[in-house]
Parts: sequence; C-alpha cells; structure tokens
Amino acid sequence: MIDRISGIALNTFRESIRDKVLVTLIVFAVVVMGSSRVIQPLALGEEAKIIKDIGLSAITLFCVLISILVGGRIVYREVEKRTIYIMLAKPVRRWEFIVGKYLGLMTVLVVSLVVMTAAFYVILLVLGVGAPLYLLLAVLMTLFELAILTAVAVLFSSFSTPITGAVFTFAVYFVGHMSRDLKLLAAISPSPVVKAVSYFSYYVLPNLANFNIRPEVVYGVPLGPSALLLPGLYALVYTATVLLISTAIFNRREF
Amino acid sequence: MSSLPEPVVSVTRLSKVYHSGFRMKRIRALEDISLEVEKGEIFGFLGPNGAGKTTLIKILMGLTEPTSGTAQVFGRPPRDAKAKARLGFLPESPYFYDHLTAREFLGLAAKLSGVQKSEAAGRVTGQLRLLRMENAADVQMRGFSRGMLQRMGIAQALVADPELVVLDEPMGGLDPIGRKEFRDIIVDLRDRGKTVFFSTHILSDVEMICDRVGIVIAGRMVEVGRLREILTGDVESIEVTVRGVTGKTQKILERVSQHSLKSGDELLLTVRSEEEVDRIMAISREVGGIRVVGIVPHRRTLEDFFMAHVAKAGGTRD
Ligand SMILES: Nc1ncnc2c1ncn2[C@@H]1O[C@H](COP(=O)(O)OP(=O)(O)OP(=O)(O)O)[C@@H](O)[C@H]1O
Ligand SMILES: [Mg+2]
Repeated sequence: MIDRISGIALNTFRESIRDKVLVTLIVFAVVVMGSSRVIQPLALGEEAKIIKDIGLSAITLFCVLISILVGGRIVYREVEKRTIYIMLAKPVRRWEFIVGKYLGLMTVLVVSLVVMTAAFYVILLVLGVGAPLYLLLAVLMTLFELAILTAVAVLFSSFSTPITGAVFTFAVYFVGHMSRDLKLLAAISPSPVVKAVSYFSYYVLPNLANFNIRPEVVYGVPLGPSALLLPGLYALVYTATVLLISTAIFNRREF
Repeated sequence: MSSLPEPVVSVTRLSKVYHSGFRMKRIRALEDISLEVEKGEIFGFLGPNGAGKTTLIKILMGLTEPTSGTAQVFGRPPRDAKAKARLGFLPESPYFYDHLTAREFLGLAAKLSGVQKSEAAGRVTGQLRLLRMENAADVQMRGFSRGMLQRMGIAQALVADPELVVLDEPMGGLDPIGRKEFRDIIVDLRDRGKTVFFSTHILSDVEMICDRVGIVIAGRMVEVGRLREILTGDVESIEVTVRGVTGKTQKILERVSQHSLKSGDELLLTVRSEEEVDRIMAISREVGGIRVVGIVPHRRTLEDFFMAHVAKAGGTRD
C-alpha cells in the first residue's frame, strides 16, 4: 500500500516539477518579493513591515495558484490522457490513487514553499530589514491552508474538467476567506434563501481566514500554541473528509 | 464437481449499455456475452471496429461496470486488487507519461504491480531488452513513435511477470517485423504457462497463434471455438482449371459447375463440393484431350464471415 501510494505520489511530483507552469510561478513569486522594495513606503518605519507582509502574501498567493492550477487538472489529466487505464489495471485501489495524487501535489507545494521562503529570507537579509524566524509561523499556517485547498482541488478534479475545477476551487478559496462575513450575513439577512445559503456555506466550506496570521507575525503580536494547534487539527480533519468524499466519487466513476 | 480448474477469465451473460450524447441515446455495446478462458491458452477476441472488444476488456479490468451479467478474473470480481496483482494489461493505443523516461515508467509499473525493490531494476532492464528499447531507455517518452509506445505498453504489462496478459489490439502501430516479434513474445508466454487474452480485427494475427477465438459482431458473440472449426464449418468453394476444352466438352463441364470462365483453351470452373471435383476428373478421363491442371480450394475467409454477420446484424437492428 505504502509502495503504491508513494509510487503515484512520486510520479505526480515528477510530472509537476518537470512542468513549466510550476517553475514559472515560483520564479514569478520570487520576482514579486524582490521588487517589494520598489513600492515606496508611506512612513519610514513601516518599510520593513511592508516588505515582510508583501513577501509572505506573495508566498501564500503563488502557492494557492499552484494548488488551484496544478491541482485542478491532476486527476482529470490522467483520465484525458488515458494513463488512468494503466494505473487502475494495476493492483492499485482507487483510494490509493487519490491519496497518492494528493500527497504528490502536497510534496510539490512543500518544496515550492521551502524554495520561496528561502528566497524570502535571502531578500530580507539582503535588504537588511531583519529576518526573525517567527515569520515561519505564517508559512506553516499557509501550509495548513494549502492542505485543505489542495484536497478541494483534487475533489473537483476527480469529476470535472480543469477549468470548472479551478473556478470552483477558487470560489471555495474566496468564500472560505469570508466566513465571518457569511455568518454575519446569515444572522442579519431578512431573506430565508440568503440565510440558508449563507449558513450552508459557513458550515460546509472551509474557514480559511483563520489561517491568515500574517498581520500578527509581521507586527510581532505574540501567539499562543493553540493559535497553531487548533487550525492544524482543523486542517487535518477537513482534508481527510474531503479526500474521503473524493474517493467515494472516484469509486463510482467509469472510464 | 470443483475438481475442474477454475477458468482464468469467466464472463457470464454480460451486457453493457452506454448512454451517450445530449439525448442520452442508448448504445448496446455488449449483449449477452458469455465466455471462459482457461489457464495456458491464447484466446483471440476478434471483431470488426465498434464490435465491443474494448468494452469487454475494460469491464474485465474493472474500469467500467457491466449493465448486467458478471465478469470474473481468477474467480474474483475485476476490481479486486488480488485479481489485478496477477495480470498485466495493455490498453488500446496506449499513451503514457510524457515526462517520464522509458526506464522510470517501467520502474513505476513494477512498483505499482508489487515487484520487490531488489528485483525491479533487473526486470525493467529485461523488458527493455526484450522489446529492443534499450537505446531509448533514458529518453523521455514525449517523442516516442506509435510503435515505441506500443512496445512500452507491452513492457509495462509484462514487467511483473503476470499469469494473465490482457492485450487490446496489441499489433496496432507495429510494422511487420514488430508484429512478428510480438507474436513470438505471445507464443513464448503461452509456452511458459501464461494465459493470453487479446483483441484484434486482423485475421492473420489470430490465425497463426490463437488456440481459440471468440468472434464478436455488433456486441454479440457469434462464435467461440477453434478458428479452423469455425471457418471450415461453412461452405467452401473449389476452383478447378481444365485445359484443352472444346465447345462440346465445355457444355458437359458447365453442367457440373456453379460458375465457369473460358480463357483460351482453359476453362475455370467453380464448384461447391469435392464430389463435384471427382465428377470433373471422371469426365476428363472419359473425354480425350482434356486435362485438369489446377484445383484450388477457397476457404471461407474471416472477412466473408464478418461481412455475412454484419449484414445479418444490420438487418435485425434499427
Ligand atoms: N464511453 C462510451 N460512451 C458511449 N458509447 C461508447 C463508449 N465506449 C464505447 N462506446 C460504443 O460502444 C460500441 C463498442 O465500442 P468498443 O470500443 O468496445 O468497440 P471495439 O470492438 O473495441 O472497436 P475497435 O476495433 O474500433 O477498437 C461502439 O458503438 C462505441 O461507439
Ligand atoms: Mg477497441
């Protein structure tokens, strides 16, 4: 089982790193981080904070893009190219295939995160604005968020086309960051339809805003361990659930 | 009762209906198909384009579910990983990962098939040698020709040395030398006690190597058995060439035959049975000056067989 899952994951990883999309996105992220100096700060003391904020935001944004763009076609591509026939005719269970694909993409994202973060720290050191290690907490939270988002991308990819998949995954990302507003909307809206939709979205879609601790780390606000543990646990449970649903859907598919 | 060895592949009253297009038009790809493949035989699954060969194979591989009926591989449902661990599969016009080299791809195939790590590298090299792909071993498969992809397809199917090999149009995209090598590989598998199930629409593929064939036309199994029995069970025609024929003997000879064609002093007669050949021989002995110079039996070809059945099927369908 481990061999089969790791085989599929490694293949997915190889496929992605030999793909131009990934390299382009990583290079672009580094360029954006490096050019943050160009954006002149309003107040002098704010410069360091803005550079850090832009850097961390760029890391998150580009990894989210990788997750959506690569993840959105990850299963579809195997169906379209008919490589799925070869895979599923081997003694590979369908859930192993889904989990393998997911872990392969997560490996790609971890590597991308490491590369971008390393570049980020180099830029901080070169600019001499200070490079405290606690900024890494924000990167870790981004990884948790990516775990959820990638599972959602795999879910859509297991039954829809890449464009639809990417659009829906992006929608989940977008709405997931408005969870608080949704709850508020549900509470105050007079329309029962709006109320129902908002409540549904609030409870079913992932609450991604919790994973954004960039302002806290940039401004040096102290964070307790629960600020990391709870989101980590949440990401784990949410991811597992989405992968279970993906498998259930994929199990019923015919090729 | 259960002393008989279990068939490697067994299909019982299998039907598959596809719903296709916007109007969900019903397509009956398979209708009431039954067949069994025994251990150690080469079974050819023969039928014209669109007959349903790929559909049956996909069901056997657990890629598609039948609408009704059952399919079993090694006595298990096709989706069972224990069944799949014992087989190798080559899909129709196979396509693989552009980004992998031939060696990486076969390594992946070996790993997924449960080949031990210590053995994998040797197996991969062995397959590359068997299919004469050593020169392309470390090249990405992106630029591979159709024939090279076909070779990679068979290599990945055989890499775990499976007991059953299922091949969908294995000769597709191969040149005559490739086809010959392929036939040798298949016969070699049988000699090593493996079971081979393959589909094709080309008669010469099956004639030389198959132990048994099943002929499927428009989703129905019209014949299962040994190819020779299937084809000679039908009416043959025999062409007899007689030399030195004059106007008078021509009339006598034409009365015996179904069809005749005169060219110079030679007469080409077409008859239905060997008895009629005997009568022509007798006449030639009685009448002086004429001689039988050629007897060519015309076996019914598989093409004739296809055509006749396709015409019949066309008549009973919408
Ligand atoms: N996924 C599908 N959806 C709808 N119809 C299908 C599907 N797959 C196959 N068919 C139809 O089922 C019939 C049998 O197709 P199948 O591919 O099994 O034929 P085949 O014998 O393999 O033909 P060929 O020699 O061309 O490969 C055809 O009429 C085909 O159009
Ligand atoms: Mg076919």
